[in-house]
Amino acid sequence: MVPAALLVLAVLGMPLVTLFRYSFNRFVPGQGMAEAFTWANYQRFFSDPYFINVLGTTVQMAVLCTVLSLILAFPVAYFLARTQSKYKSLLIILTVFPLLVGNVVRAAGWMALLGNNGFVNTILIGVGILDTPVKILYTPTAVVIGIVAVVLPFMILTLQSVIESIDRSIEEAALNLGAGPFTVFRRVTFPLSLPGVLAGTVLVGILCMNAYATPVLLGGPQFKMMAPALYDQMIRANNWPFGAALAFVLMVATVLLTIASTLALKRRTARDQ
Amino acid sequence: MKHLSRREMLASTGLAAGGLALSASGVGAQSLSCSDVYVGTWGGDYQDLLIANFEKRVLGQRKVAVSHDVANAPPRKTKLITEKSGRRGTMDVALLSESDMYEVYKQGVFEELDFSKLKNAGNIIPALRRSYSIPHIYSGKIILYNPNKVSPAPTSYADLWDPKYKGRVGFADGLYVQIIESAAIINGGSVTNLEPGKTKLAELKKLDPKVYPSNEALAAALKSEEVWFTIMWRARGIQWRNAGIPVALAVPKEGATPIIFEAAIPKNAPNKDCAYAYLDAMLDPEGQTGFAAKMGYVPTVTNAKLDPKLEADLSFTAEEQKKFIIPDLETVAKNNAQLLDWWNREFKG
Repeated sequence: MVPAALLVLAVLGMPLVTLFRYSFNRFVPGQGMAEAFTWANYQRFFSDPYFINVLGTTVQMAVLCTVLSLILAFPVAYFLARTQSKYKSLLIILTVFPLLVGNVVRAAGWMALLGNNGFVNTILIGVGILDTPVKILYTPTAVVIGIVAVVLPFMILTLQSVIESIDRSIEEAALNLGAGPFTVFRRVTFPLSLPGVLAGTVLVGILCMNAYATPVLLGGPQFKMMAPALYDQMIRANNWPFGAALAFVLMVATVLLTIASTLALKRRTARDQ
Repeated sequence: MKHLSRREMLASTGLAAGGLALSASGVGAQSLSCSDVYVGTWGGDYQDLLIANFEKRVLGQRKVAVSHDVANAPPRKTKLITEKSGRRGTMDVALLSESDMYEVYKQGVFEELDFSKLKNAGNIIPALRRSYSIPHIYSGKIILYNPNKVSPAPTSYADLWDPKYKGRVGFADGLYVQIIESAAIINGGSVTNLEPGKTKLAELKKLDPKVYPSNEALAAALKSEEVWFTIMWRARGIQWRNAGIPVALAVPKEGATPIIFEAAIPKNAPNKDCAYAYLDAMLDPEGQTGFAAKMGYVPTVTNAKLDPKLEADLSFTAEEQKKFIIPDLETVAKNNAQLLDWWNREFKG
């Protein structure tokens, strides 16, 4: 136990401590990072509307994509949990299958589908719905589609495992007592699946907050979320101190959102009980 | 249990490439005090051509095994800077563009080269030579345009500001420094004063220019004729034209800006003898000719002879070379962060 904890501390904790220290250093154009102890990088972030906007966009996208993936995943997860089909294992493998393909490759696939000359526009123009291509690629819509597609399997699998553990007879009892299917879902299934909703929301929310390849490739250069902005500072501008500060702002924002969603869902669970 | 050496392990995982080829070359077989060299390079065609033209042909004779650390330039720069305080680095040779190379050099990563260890050093085009690197290939920044849509052919960067081409100018996001420099040149600026480029690009912004996340995305937009104009390396333009993308090349009257791809040796390179051998191999005239023919870049040594037709396609004329705009690397290094900031907020935003 102790050696494992020390190993985790070394490989996870030390780089974080180092990066945190970097965030207080100074950037000298043309030379890189200079040793210092200054809050200037954090001050710059919180006093600059551009970066506040970037953080705002990131949080909005994370919330939107998490909620959308929850809405889309629940029926699929419910079906997978309840089906008696002999193909159930195959269906679960199909759900996992997209995870075997890297984010960049999937984004490239979406680029081929959503571009001005892509599959979607070609079809819409071909059947006469559109005269000119509609711009989907390099818009926030494309990013939402791309991120939701990436995180959906995580949400489905998390929900499915929890729904499977809900005794079916409880739902049947509610139906016998005269509740309609929607009431059963609202008053029985959903409240009992809240631990899965919580786990899925936290997992997917963290992934959405830290999305990099999808916003870069599908949102285009004009669309900025925190991870691409961080990359810009660390790698393109060579401004490690400010990049490190961005990394910690992103990390703290992610932790705060995770705590907030956990508390909200726990309160809901307590109220239902 | 047999312990694998680092070299064996790299070879077994498919990272080792290049070395131990048997073909003859202009450089005579000679043994070195090392047998391995670790090269930080781009992948794809670039890596394949390094193997075919320099590693198998030249280094294979010397029984040097080459391992590649394949990545794009930004991670390589980061790795070099991160490792600089270490006693032993992981790269013997690092390949970068001249501005990236200078930026990393300024941080004390590379050693000053001892050119007496390079047999081919005397053939380097003098204007391309630096104290800390060798030039590997070069090209120049020019205008690419769609000949089916743009008439007459452009002659100046200013032609991109023509209102009749509104919405048809596209740029690759990664070339922000070069694009700001082009705009500065036609607005009273210079390679040491890039600020006028910002005001000129602010004018262009009203004409709805497009910015694409990568060169490949820009190529796709040129191919689909979504955009008709861009500023790009001549070599890239030739590759695209040969791939069927509708682009023609125009050297602006203001002058083309050369881009040089270079190779250098980190101070903490573990195999410096082999690193020098690798650099020398990269200056081999036959290898340079073979590399240039495939990549569309121009050789950097005076004794590399290109096929006259190919030379006319790839090279700049004597007159064009006289008008070369040589970038000021110190200005670029000092202003890179603020130019990127402006590009992200003001131009793209």
